[in-house]
Amino acid sequence: MEICNSYSSSSVDSTKHSASESSVNLSLSLTFPSTSPQRATKQDWPPIKPRLRDTLKVRRRLLQRDYDTCLFVKVYMEGVPIGRKLDLSTFSGYESLLENLSHMFNTSIICGNHRDRKHHVLTYQDTDGDWMMVGDIPWEMFLETVRRLKITKPERC
Amino acid sequence: MNYFPDEVIEHVFDFVTSHKDRNSISLVCKSWFKIERYSRQNVFIGNCYSISPERLLRRFPCFKSLTLKGKPHFADFNLVPHGWGGFVQPWIEALARSRVGLEELRLKRMVVTDEGLELLSRSFVNFKSLVLVSCEGFSTDGLASIASNCRHLRDLDLQENEIDDHRGQWLSCFPETCTSVVTLNFACLEGETNLVALERLVARSPNLRSLKLNRAVPLDALARLMACAPQIVDLGVGSYEDEQDSESCLKLQAAIRKCTSLRSLSGFLEAAPHCLSAFHPVCHNLTSLNLSYAAEIHGSHLIKLIEHCKKLQRLWILDSIGDKGLEVVASTCKELQELRVFPTDLHGGGNTAVTEDGLVAISAGCPKLHSILYFCQQMTNAALITVARNCPNFIRFRLCILEPHKPDHVTSQPLDEGFGAIVQACKNLKRLSVSGLLTDQVFLYIGMFATQLEMLSIAFAGDTDKGMLYVLNGCKKMRKLEIRDSPFGDAALLADVNKYETMRSLWMSSCEVTLGGCKRLARKAPWLNVEIINENDNNRMEENGYEGRQKVDKLYLYRTVVGTRVDAPPFVWIL
Repeated sequence: MEICNSYSSSSVDSTKHSASESSVNLSLSLTFPSTSPQRATKQDWPPIKPRLRDTLKVRRRLLQRDYDTCLFVKVYMEGVPIGRKLDLSTFSGYESLLENLSHMFNTSIICGNHRDRKHHVLTYQDTDGDWMMVGDIPWEMFLETVRRLKITKPERC
Repeated sequence: MNYFPDEVIEHVFDFVTSHKDRNSISLVCKSWFKIERYSRQNVFIGNCYSISPERLLRRFPCFKSLTLKGKPHFADFNLVPHGWGGFVQPWIEALARSRVGLEELRLKRMVVTDEGLELLSRSFVNFKSLVLVSCEGFSTDGLASIASNCRHLRDLDLQENEIDDHRGQWLSCFPETCTSVVTLNFACLEGETNLVALERLVARSPNLRSLKLNRAVPLDALARLMACAPQIVDLGVGSYEDEQDSESCLKLQAAIRKCTSLRSLSGFLEAAPHCLSAFHPVCHNLTSLNLSYAAEIHGSHLIKLIEHCKKLQRLWILDSIGDKGLEVVASTCKELQELRVFPTDLHGGGNTAVTEDGLVAISAGCPKLHSILYFCQQMTNAALITVARNCPNFIRFRLCILEPHKPDHVTSQPLDEGFGAIVQACKNLKRLSVSGLLTDQVFLYIGMFATQLEMLSIAFAGDTDKGMLYVLNGCKKMRKLEIRDSPFGDAALLADVNKYETMRSLWMSSCEVTLGGCKRLARKAPWLNVEIINENDNNRMEENGYEGRQKVDKLYLYRTVVGTRVDAPPFVWIL
């Protein structure tokens, strides 16, 4: 029954616990409450009820799916009836997105910060249904909230 | 009082309702004992194995309501193997054989069967109220029996049970003549629901106050149900998908506005992000809000809802609300008494949704706060000391830091001082759960200051037996002690055997107690049931001669007047 010793600190001087030491032990203990394979699948930590545990498992699966798979959104250029579809998960940030769009639509497209009469401006529709200027919020947050893209004519904004 | 006839004394006793008080008055003298026994209406049994149904009936022949609890608390977290016990069948059979006029049965963590429910429904003419919490072993067929046979059913309240859903027609088993339903909670059922039967039942139940739906009840059905029952006080929303036609949404909004008595809202089991705004018109009256299953709803929408809930007394929420969200709660919900913040990320992925800052904000903003359950990734002693200063009125304080052994993240010190401040300031503290890096010192504080403490949960804490001894010696009112993964052993277990007679139960799992120690305890205290739960190797424990060194995986002991139970499965060894 050596299993239970993997977490108890019976012989350890507690003042010696450094942050890094604890975190190494903990990353193990967090996912596998003991080294026994039977115990590892038991899922007894953290102490939450089975119903909540199941709800969160489903949520995590959905989130994983969102992160792992593609994030295709429709892109329209104002004045052009037929749109394109673009996988946003392939871009690392706003710069690569703009570069790619400019190439795709064969025109120069910029974010909202530096507007002038010559360049198209990229806008997006968010989960609330509102049309917003691209570039204001962090990229990761943008990915969570973007639903579709629209490239607007210069004078519109 | 001796000069009064029994009827007068009995009438006075009618005003004494709490179990503790009734137990006290029954100890005053023989005459009071006798009067009290015949007049006791509500019986509470905290551990179904502490007494037998026969002895219960001998003592209290006239009760109407019975509350029974079975498995130990840690069974909620998968620590008690399936089949351990807590069977209600012998109780129902004994009650059915007797002439007791049972009207209410409340069970927690017990195993219930369809046969038992059928017997229950047929045996008691005036049966009115069935409340099952965290139970298992039955199906919707059992519910059908209750619906069919209990003519005066008032409450059917199913909270977090594991029910085998046969997708049958249990709802249509309520006869057309049944108009007495006050509480109907079937949120934990996973299968389809007969919406027509449900709507008809709700429509003919003018006294319906509490309705909690399961995920199979869609939005348009919800609107119709609320329109039928505008008197509803407590509502549990089932499924709440986003993409609805505007007509359904308008109907729902109109129905919600009519529910002026609505005080409690829960559910949102499958909830799309925008759905909460339909409930904004009734928020100003809400006193209880449980969004702990609404995992799909973003923190910002939760915050928008809470900003309207100025009268909230109870809030159960997920940590996706964030520290910023808790600051909104602190500035909005000045009547808040109970807060529970549950984790969304179980794998410690570095998501710092709520931290010590959120807890401090709540403690500063909510002067009436007395109960808290808080899951978080990190904590500091300074924060806990501040919380203790802000809120000396805690009755229940449960803090769960998700990473075991995690120290104060600023100072890297154990959290002894923080919890010490809590127990010192909160003179009425009855329930405490500790977590994070803790040495024996925190238990010294608990033993010294937590004089009213009745329930203590310990996980991954302490250094030596001294820790447990401080608690056993100091906390005179301790009733339930549950310990896991902590280095407490035989010396602590055996130091004061008589202590366990003053407690309901002790649970120790993955600690340092040995088989030899447990055997010694069982010999010294024959009025205890000392159970060793050992799922992995059923008989290996007996054969090995080195009992003194053989560690026990799970120990559960409890006082009892009826000796060893006869329904224990093979993996439970009662010493």
